[in-house]
Amino acid sequence: MALAQGTGGSSSPESVALGEVLAFFGTVADFAVGSAPEEGDRIASLAAAMAQIAEISEEEKDALYFAARLRNIGGLGNPAFAKGEERSERDKMMAGWDVPVDGARISARIEALPQSTADIIRWQAECWDGTGYPDQLRWSGIPHTAQLLHLARMYARIGDPEEALSAITMESGRCFAPAYVRTFVMWFHTYGGEIEYVPPPYHCLRSERTSVREVLDCLSAQVDAHNATPGRAGRIAGRCAEIGACLGFDSEQLRQVTLASMLFGIGELRAQAQEASQFDPLGRLGIETRAQHAVDAAKLVAQCPYLAELAPVLRARAEWYDGTGAPEGLRHDAIARPAHALAVSIAFDALDESYRSRITEERALPIVRLETAAGTQFDPEMVRALADVVKARA
Amino acid sequence: MIELPERTRRISASRLEEILREHDCASVVDPFMGVPTHLNYLKRHGMAVHGGDLVEWFVRAGEGIVVNDFTVLRDNEVAEIVEMLPGKIYALDLFKAWEGVFFTEEQCIYLGVWHDNVHNLRSDGQTGLAILGLWNVLCYWLQKVQYPDDMQDIAPSELAWNYIRKTEQWVATNLRRNTVRRADVLSTIGAQSADALFLAPPARNSFRSADARIWMWEAWWQGNPYFNIEHAYRDSLFGRRSADEQGYARAVAAVLSSAQEYPLVVLQTSEQRVRDFEPHMRNARANVEIRAPHPHEVYLIGTK
Repeated sequence: MALAQGTGGSSSPESVALGEVLAFFGTVADFAVGSAPEEGDRIASLAAAMAQIAEISEEEKDALYFAARLRNIGGLGNPAFAKGEERSERDKMMAGWDVPVDGARISARIEALPQSTADIIRWQAECWDGTGYPDQLRWSGIPHTAQLLHLARMYARIGDPEEALSAITMESGRCFAPAYVRTFVMWFHTYGGEIEYVPPPYHCLRSERTSVREVLDCLSAQVDAHNATPGRAGRIAGRCAEIGACLGFDSEQLRQVTLASMLFGIGELRAQAQEASQFDPLGRLGIETRAQHAVDAAKLVAQCPYLAELAPVLRARAEWYDGTGAPEGLRHDAIARPAHALAVSIAFDALDESYRSRITEERALPIVRLETAAGTQFDPEMVRALADVVKARA
Repeated sequence: MIELPERTRRISASRLEEILREHDCASVVDPFMGVPTHLNYLKRHGMAVHGGDLVEWFVRAGEGIVVNDFTVLRDNEVAEIVEMLPGKIYALDLFKAWEGVFFTEEQCIYLGVWHDNVHNLRSDGQTGLAILGLWNVLCYWLQKVQYPDDMQDIAPSELAWNYIRKTEQWVATNLRRNTVRRADVLSTIGAQSADALFLAPPARNSFRSADARIWMWEAWWQGNPYFNIEHAYRDSLFGRRSADEQGYARAVAAVLSSAQEYPLVVLQTSEQRVRDFEPHMRNARANVEIRAPHPHEVYLIGTK
């Protein structure tokens, strides 16, 4: 079937890897703003199908696909969704209007994306009658691809096909240009409202312009901004790398621990601010919450073929060395070494941050406190290596 | 059927904000303001904004969403705008001249009722919100003529209610003084000092072919269906005196030379018209950068 054939073209391994990581970025953002799982795929596929009916150029179709996948990346770190000071509902609503612009700014930095991707993201919530946001563009001032994305988002959000059809036709001339509502109705009646999966057009990505690592750095920075933990991933990745070097990690283990350090925060994106910070990183209080964050992070990376190997590492970061941790009660060598290193580094960072901010002034130095948990919560070898790293830095 | 231009000017306030922030601007003047939704965006993002235009309803709308920091309309106040009030005498035939030409009889009656109700509102902020909200109704009706089978029939008062409510959600404060004025471009430029001047000049002779949605609403606000918007522009800098190419060039040069005090000038135009402005900008400014994210959205950015 034509719609399931994608946009053609062969993809290099680099562009496939980049495409998978970009799609992952979108999935993480969807998770952060509370979108249903698989919604990104559904929206991208529906938008691509309507673009085919509307006879939009191949280049624009590719841009539309990635805009659909990345439509929520502006939600990462946006005050409407992120942790931070309490805000009124109205303030949250107004902050939420900036999600498309913030997303456009992030995607504009990813030069590998098709050129108009950022503008489609920017204007995905504009309404044909000028009552949308952020710019209140109207009529032909709104790119047609942005209108198709808006339409696809509404269809996916409503869920029930008949109800969505009715709601969208009601919006003809208001949210949506009548021409695009007609396109949608044509699609709906041709395919009975069933969205067929469209393979991602990874071939269009200019992987020589943006590396996978740059995208992950960008994602990691947004996740830290969202969790109100600026710079955390970088600090932890640095310590993990040094621990790994001390203990002779092989290159694969070093790669895993570095990437896991950059990504473990994705599991905390939906946590409330107080939930993330109220527990001491040492001890059993809050272990279920930490385990849930670990499981969430592992589930998210498991959806990305390029990063799926990190899932066991992320999942095990709340396990205890003595087997009394969660979620599975793994112990000793059943826990991968990168997960041991990650666990001790995360705990050290939390203790160190609170120590520096004098929240726990009366307590001992973070590394001294960590040493008390060696052999129970943490692998003693990892704690010793971290102590060496900390001493060397001091 | 009335002809509505397919392409209207695209002013992306979010893109403009990016340019202004790059140059550390915290205030901006726009003497060709038009519908001031872009100034509202900049205001909501903390910038002090000052707009000017010759068309009165643009300025009134600016009082609603640019100057106004807090005033919104309560449910009963919206109801008093959108419905015929019992016991009140209305000039129901005020817009009869448009009946059967642009609008139906019912629509013309509502236009008369709304004209009266809005003119009786108590504050400039409320008036501005109502004017802008109801303008969306006018646009909806005119578009519906173009797409009769695609757009829903919605009761006028319901449509008006929804659009006024949508409009007032943009009201916000930035704890700065924001202004709008009904004035020609040079008066607005001279009346304010700000970090940046934003210009989106009208095309040559564009006042002669003003969008029906714009002139009709001015006619509605004035309560005169025969109102000719050319009057507003006739003696202005970009009016008759700039009808020919040289006159237009002189007008552009005059605007840019009057803007010398502004550290930054951002002129938005299209790829097609950029040559009308680039030489003048280069004459007026030491450094000029051209940014063209889209053929219909080209920015000439001039710094001292």
